[in-house]
Amino acid sequence: MDYNLLKQFVAVIATVGLYSVLYKENKFYRFWEHVFMGLASGWGLVALWTEVLKSGWWDKMFGATASDGNGAAMGYWMYIILLPVGLMGYTVFSKKHNWMSRIPIGIILGLYSGQQFSAWMTYYGPLFTASMKPVLPNTSEFWKANPPVTGTVYGSEALTNLISLLTVLTVLTYFLFSFDVKSKVLKASSTTGRWLLMIGFGAIFGSTVMMRFTLLIDRMYFIWIEFVKQGLLHMK
Amino acid sequence: MAINEPTNATHWSEKLQSVPKPVIFGILLLFSTVPLFFPVQLPNKPIDASIDFYAQAMKIPDGGKIILCSDWTNSTRGESKGEMEALLRILMRKHIKFVLLSIGDVQAPQVAKDTIREVSDEEVAKGGTAYKEFEDFVNLGYYAAAEGTILAINNKVLSVAQGKKDFPVGAGPKDALLSPVFSGIKTVSDFNMFILVTASSTNRTILERITNCPMMYMVTGVMVPENTSYYASGQLKGLCGGVKGVFDLENLMEYGINNPGPHEIESEKYKGESIPGWPGKTNTGKGTAYYFALHFALALLVVAVAIGNLGMFVAKRRSK
Repeated sequence: MDYNLLKQFVAVIATVGLYSVLYKENKFYRFWEHVFMGLASGWGLVALWTEVLKSGWWDKMFGATASDGNGAAMGYWMYIILLPVGLMGYTVFSKKHNWMSRIPIGIILGLYSGQQFSAWMTYYGPLFTASMKPVLPNTSEFWKANPPVTGTVYGSEALTNLISLLTVLTVLTYFLFSFDVKSKVLKASSTTGRWLLMIGFGAIFGSTVMMRFTLLIDRMYFIWIEFVKQGLLHMK
Repeated sequence: MAINEPTNATHWSEKLQSVPKPVIFGILLLFSTVPLFFPVQLPNKPIDASIDFYAQAMKIPDGGKIILCSDWTNSTRGESKGEMEALLRILMRKHIKFVLLSIGDVQAPQVAKDTIREVSDEEVAKGGTAYKEFEDFVNLGYYAAAEGTILAINNKVLSVAQGKKDFPVGAGPKDALLSPVFSGIKTVSDFNMFILVTASSTNRTILERITNCPMMYMVTGVMVPENTSYYASGQLKGLCGGVKGVFDLENLMEYGINNPGPHEIESEKYKGESIPGWPGKTNTGKGTAYYFALHFALALLVVAVAIGNLGMFVAKRRSK
């Protein structure tokens, strides 16, 4: 058995082990669950050093000498300041000193909040602009011409835009929680908004189910096609 | 419809609502597995989002450079790996170099590297050239501070790679900035595209911060409704979502866009243009393999919901 096939065999056993919980809770499942958690934690710990602390902090603090074609880099001792600031985060476990943990949390919150001002506009700006669409046609033709004439709003397009606009407005009225809605128009709009939201959630739920099915199909493909058919039986 | 414990249901309508869960799981396994042995090429009409994704990817000049943010791991292998493979085939055939990084999961860079190696081997077997780490793509690895990293990419892209080492197979660690991928790069706008393959909320982090480079996303099926808004508003130049997106891409890679023939895929948006495919090469992958089985599984779901509701309806009428 070559190494690749052995690797696949272990993966197949792990897959079967994890799916065995569908029948009932059992020790085989627990074993593979713990193996997975152990591997993920171990990998995470190593990566924390190699990918985050070493390259982003340690190497920058101590610098590097030229070797193997890599250039020399100056070290910046000021990076040492980050160590006590980072360690302050762990004082959250001490009743006496936990006030110190608020310092790194405050720095992170400050940095994040500063970014969010521009991030908000970058995120929502184009969405606002895209919501403002013409709802009145400027031609008597209903269906879009092929090719469409630039600047022309066809009847079908106007109708689509109107549905889109009504959806935005009715859904917004559903979220008017801060006062008691007595107007019949607002109530009807709110109810319509709720229905439209439910249709949207249904579509999202449908996508979720489809995704879960795909994950199952992928595991079955791995076991039956990649391992059994192509790996063990050497069939195309 | 399903239960875990056995019941003393007597009437058929009650039995329909109390099918043991292991039986349903067993049928589902059968429905998900058997079609895999009988691959059927289903008819398909790629959606606009997928067509745009393919067209924009094909418009990146040969030898161009992109940033590829890979934030998926094996937990969404069913969808994300198919997306990544399809994208890599396009990149490798067009000799597009890329910077690989991850802000979503610490395991993601390794998963991406494994996929790159597999697709590279596949291309070599078909007469293509191998894609070498450091030369053709450079791996910056994982970044813990997603927001800060993406903002830095947008404002000062080279600072993100400073101090990062790439670990190509058979060689010692190399300064990522010395890679040919970074040659001639000064700002993020020097990259032709920023492409994200994700199964997590990093889509929003990137959308909020990247303003100087066109973007395209490859997302899982559950993320399609959210990301369709960004595509419709023009924030994304193209969108490939779920197994349908992969199937679309695989079709587009086979037939191209507006190429006359029995399987022509027409696009009004690209009228007058002919975007080629790669007939004869390995274009089909997980999308084609899974799409047929997915239809079976979904049909089972519809039947199960209908049977459960029928049982409930009849049982209610009996009790009146």
